[in-house]
Amino acid sequence: MRRLALALLPCLALAGTACAPVRPWERDVLARPEMAFVPDPLEAKRSDHIYFSKEGSLPGGEAGGGGCGCN
Amino acid sequence: MHFSPRRAACALPLAILLALLATPAAALGPGDPAPAWSAPALAGGDAVSLAAARGKVVYLDFWASWCVPCRTSLPLLEELRREFPPERFAVVAVNVDREPDAGRRFLEKAKVGYPSASDPEGRIPARFGVETMPTSFLIDGSGVIRFVHRGFQKSDVPELRERIAELVGQ
Repeated sequence: MRRLALALLPCLALAGTACAPVRPWERDVLARPEMAFVPDPLEAKRSDHIYFSKEGSLPGGEAGGGGCGCN
Repeated sequence: MHFSPRRAACALPLAILLALLATPAAALGPGDPAPAWSAPALAGGDAVSLAAARGKVVYLDFWASWCVPCRTSLPLLEELRREFPPERFAVVAVNVDREPDAGRRFLEKAKVGYPSASDPEGRIPARFGVETMPTSFLIDGSGVIRFVHRGFQKSDVPELRERIAELVGQ
C-alpha cells in the first residue's frame, strides 16, 4: 500500500503541472455575458439585494467584472 | 519498466521543478527594460514594432475587444496622442483578441490613428507579464519602463497626461 502511495505521488505531482492558469488576455470567453451566473445585470443586482437583505449581511456579490479581469 | 518507490521518489523533485518552470514570467515594472517585439498590424499593412518608435516616449497599450474598459481607453488615448508632438510621443497598441476579426471590427469603430499589432497567441503580453486587462506601459526614450497602468477609467487621464508630459519634457 505504501509502495503504491509512493508510486502515485509523483503521478499526482505531474498531473498538477497540467493545471494551466487562464491568463488575463485569454479571458474573452469568460467575459461573454452568457458566462455570468446571472446574465442580466439588473436581475443580478436585484437578486443580490434580496440575498443580502434576507441574510442581514453585507453585499457579497460585488466583485467587479464577469471574469474578464478587466477591473 | 519497473517502477520502484525509490524511482518514484526521485521523480517527485523533477515534477516540482517542471511545475516551477511552468509558472508565468514576472510582471515587468518601472526600471525594467521593455522587451523588443514585432507583430503583424491588426488592420493589415506594415508590421508594428516597439523599435519603430525608438527615441520617443511610448505608451504601450494592451487591449481586447471584449475588455469593457478598453471601450473607454481607446478614444481617450487617441486624444492624448494628439496632445503631444508626434516626434516625441507615440501610442503603440497590442490587440490580444484570439479572434482578430473581433479586434478589427472594434478598431473600425474606434477610429484611432495609432498602430495596433495583432497578437492572438498572447506572446507579447506574456513577455511583459500583463496581469490584468487593459494594462499599459509608459516607456521612456531609452526603452525603459517608467510607469505601469493597470485597468482604465476616464478619471485616470489627468495623471497619465502629467506622467507623459514629464517624460516628454513639456
